[in-house]
Amino acid sequence: MKRSPATLPARILWNAFFWTYERASWQYDVMVIAILAFVWLVPPDWLKDPTAHGSGPVGWILDRLR
Amino acid sequence: MFPLRAIINACVALRIHPNILTFVGVLINVAAAVALATNRFILAGVIMIVANIFDFIDGKVAVLLGAVSKFGGFWDSVNDRFSDIALFIGLIYLYSHLGRTDYVMVASLAMMFSIMTSYARARAESLIAKCKVGFMERPERIVLFMIGAFTNRMAAVLWVILVLSIFTVADRVIHTYRELRQDAREALA
Repeated sequence: MKRSPATLPARILWNAFFWTYERASWQYDVMVIAILAFVWLVPPDWLKDPTAHGSGPVGWILDRLR
Repeated sequence: MFPLRAIINACVALRIHPNILTFVGVLINVAAAVALATNRFILAGVIMIVANIFDFIDGKVAVLLGAVSKFGGFWDSVNDRFSDIALFIGLIYLYSHLGRTDYVMVASLAMMFSIMTSYARARAESLIAKCKVGFMERPERIVLFMIGAFTNRMAAVLWVILVLSIFTVADRVIHTYRELRQDAREALA
């Protein structure tokens, strides 16, 4: 059965939500990269982090672009 | 890896019971929780590494000593939960001390759903053969805790643990429901 390309983002989201992949899979690596990007790139100020301050790498880039 | 092999060999030579190693791991994690509670994240990260060495070697020592038992597996799981809760309580204490009730709630909810991921799997596997779905399991949680501690990004780490733990619990509930429904259909056929 041929799937419509419009369903691809929905399938990606569903597979990310309903996680059944093993640790040694490329999907796992992509998830880890996404998590590390969130942890390290999102400015602590955006999250109102109680122990870290500053705008982080994303804030630094946005400041340079302004 | 040489240092770990040396530690394992030393434990085997001294005939240290693996259940004691498991318990020592919990005590070290409590020390990490105290470091988190006092806002010494780097120290907490270092202590967590030491605690997880104990968590890693207890199984290997059990095999080498011929002391593998069902109780050992149960003891290990129970102590893992104590370790997890201790780390979260350390953070809850810290955020409470800083007057940040918002992050007290985030850490508390992350703790609740982290425990529920383990409970959901344990309960599900009393009904179905396997319930190993969902991303956020203990190894991921521990590595995230260390990343948060060493790079001082604990708030982001707590959000990741919270959101992915909610998904993991939901995955396990859905998976168990589907498996049980399938079993019921097969029983009727």
